[in-house]
Amino acid sequence: MNIKKISLILLLTLGAFALSACSGGRTAVTTWPGLTADAERAYLTTGSYIYAVDLKTGKEVWHYPESADGKHVYFATPVLANGQLLIGSEGTNNAFVSLNPETGKESWAEPFLGAKSKWIASPLVLNDKIYAPNTDGFVYILDMDGKPVADPIEVGGALWSAPVAEGNLIYIASLDHHLHILDATTNQISATVDVGGAIPSSPLIAEGGVYVGSFTSNVEFISATGGQSVLAGATNWVWGTPVLDGATLYYADLNGNVYSFDVLAKKQNWSEVTPDGPIVASPLVAGDQIYVASEAGAFFALDQDAKIVWEKEVDADSPKDTIYTTPVATGDLILVAPYKAKFLLTAYDADGKQAWTFVPEK
Amino acid sequence: MNTPKQASTAQPQLPAGSVSGTLKTVLIIALLAYIVLNWNAFIGIFVNVLLWIYALLGHGKDAFGWTIVLFTILIRLATWPLNAQQLKSAQAMQELQNDKEWLDIQKKYAKDREKLAQEQMRIYSERGVSPFASCLPMLIQLPLWFALIQALNRTLAVTPLAMLELARSVYAWPQKFLPSLSVSSIVPLNSQFLWMDLGRPEFTQILGFSVPILVVLVGITSFFQIRLSTPPSPNPNDQSAQMSKSMSFTMPIMMIMMASAYSSGFSLYLLVSNILAIIQAMLQGKADWRNLLPGSSKKPTTPVKK
Repeated sequence: MNIKKISLILLLTLGAFALSACSGGRTAVTTWPGLTADAERAYLTTGSYIYAVDLKTGKEVWHYPESADGKHVYFATPVLANGQLLIGSEGTNNAFVSLNPETGKESWAEPFLGAKSKWIASPLVLNDKIYAPNTDGFVYILDMDGKPVADPIEVGGALWSAPVAEGNLIYIASLDHHLHILDATTNQISATVDVGGAIPSSPLIAEGGVYVGSFTSNVEFISATGGQSVLAGATNWVWGTPVLDGATLYYADLNGNVYSFDVLAKKQNWSEVTPDGPIVASPLVAGDQIYVASEAGAFFALDQDAKIVWEKEVDADSPKDTIYTTPVATGDLILVAPYKAKFLLTAYDADGKQAWTFVPEK
Repeated sequence: MNTPKQASTAQPQLPAGSVSGTLKTVLIIALLAYIVLNWNAFIGIFVNVLLWIYALLGHGKDAFGWTIVLFTILIRLATWPLNAQQLKSAQAMQELQNDKEWLDIQKKYAKDREKLAQEQMRIYSERGVSPFASCLPMLIQLPLWFALIQALNRTLAVTPLAMLELARSVYAWPQKFLPSLSVSSIVPLNSQFLWMDLGRPEFTQILGFSVPILVVLVGITSFFQIRLSTPPSPNPNDQSAQMSKSMSFTMPIMMIMMASAYSSGFSLYLLVSNILAIIQAMLQGKADWRNLLPGSSKKPTTPVKK
């Protein structure tokens, strides 16, 4: 082999490298589904589409948009409020849209295009106003027609999770390690609390404040005035929102542990219950069972004493399937949206019997 | 310069230098294969080193840019011997083009390509010159580039899945010895550096036009680096001279394509790497600034210090 051939091979390799760069380096889109539901339909975001799925049959009711393009890429979970389905896009124009939940048609005359960056967080609707956090660090305030009604509020850091509200106080979690408390009557930040690590998920409203899980591997209580106390620990990052059932707080970590914590007695009921692999999704409490989905693609029902009632390999035919999306309870069904599985959504009853799976129509 | 030796009709025996060169080639290829088979772990090393540097720099404003600069210096130091070998080999290959015996066999076997190739291999062996030696460092660079692009995406973690990948990549043990390396306290990283967001391609508004300044700098420094370290051939029409001339234009174009396709963090790595390569060539006495002058390829220059 002479030097000319070697140089040619090198150049071809570099050329292939550069071409692969053009196709996938900047716009590769991968994320897990977002899921919400009302009494009749589940609303699922995955990649470029939003699907409405009939809960009785598991069949598609509508999808949006008609065809995929770079403007429509959905990382966020849609929110149902005031007869609208609200969601922002991660696509090229950072559009925030409102859809009619029954038809999938756009509700507003035009989408809101004022954000500087992509949408990962879901919005909060309070007092007929939409509070929409963006990864540009701003919370945009819109009316129910999608028009800005106040200057955006600069919070800082990337905002990945939906705000939660108690009265007129809005709690906004940021990846910049802070929880911000916004007074909705004045649109002013009333308190900012440094928890020491990124907060990827929404806080959980409790009496007089919120519970917050973070990358500090702790769950903290933060009062409405900004008071802060560490309640419980974990062995790794706490990604999902904790859930409260009476006086019991359930949360999970990336080491795959599920914890039960008594918030009155301030002690762990049980911990280090490790069903199967890292846990990103929040636990779900429905009836007297706690449902946990793992990255390994398994779905568990636990009782309140940490005993596994049943477990399901959600898509046994897909070795790479995972579950990062928090399950949703609606009626008698528990909805589970796996990622990289052969179907996009499945429904179980409380006994673990699979009701249906949803695969989009081609 | 070596004097031509008497041509041998027997099969050329590989001298000791060539044997060690072949062994080195085999070892490098084995190392590359090992890296490919353990790709995720290889990226994990990059991710952790980037995070450690970032943590030690105080993870403040601009810290990630300086992290990339320091990381590039570490990579250049680690690959210094290979790059030094590349410079020497390029020089030796170029000098071979001026050699009387080399020129003689080109004329003698102009119509017998097989015999010409045999004679060329014999001369390579006798002089201890390996045509592969100047290519190996480039082969090493490719997986480094791939890994760095993925490591930068994973380290900056601008999407939830990237953040999960980051969480999986982090080594827990260093934090036990040095709490300041605690990743949970520094994530997410601040991707701002000077006027750039290192997680995105860079464009600067100049007179109403979006100009990718960093990409332009990558192209210019790449051109300089190749021209400075490639000795001109006395015969502009020979194969080697044409290849050198072609490479001095195609490589910068390739660099520009890659820099513009990926994030400005990767462009910063390429820019610093090119500058360090020029400095290394200067330190080894292999940089000839006259090569930058127009028409320099037509004039043979005094061979630079070996």
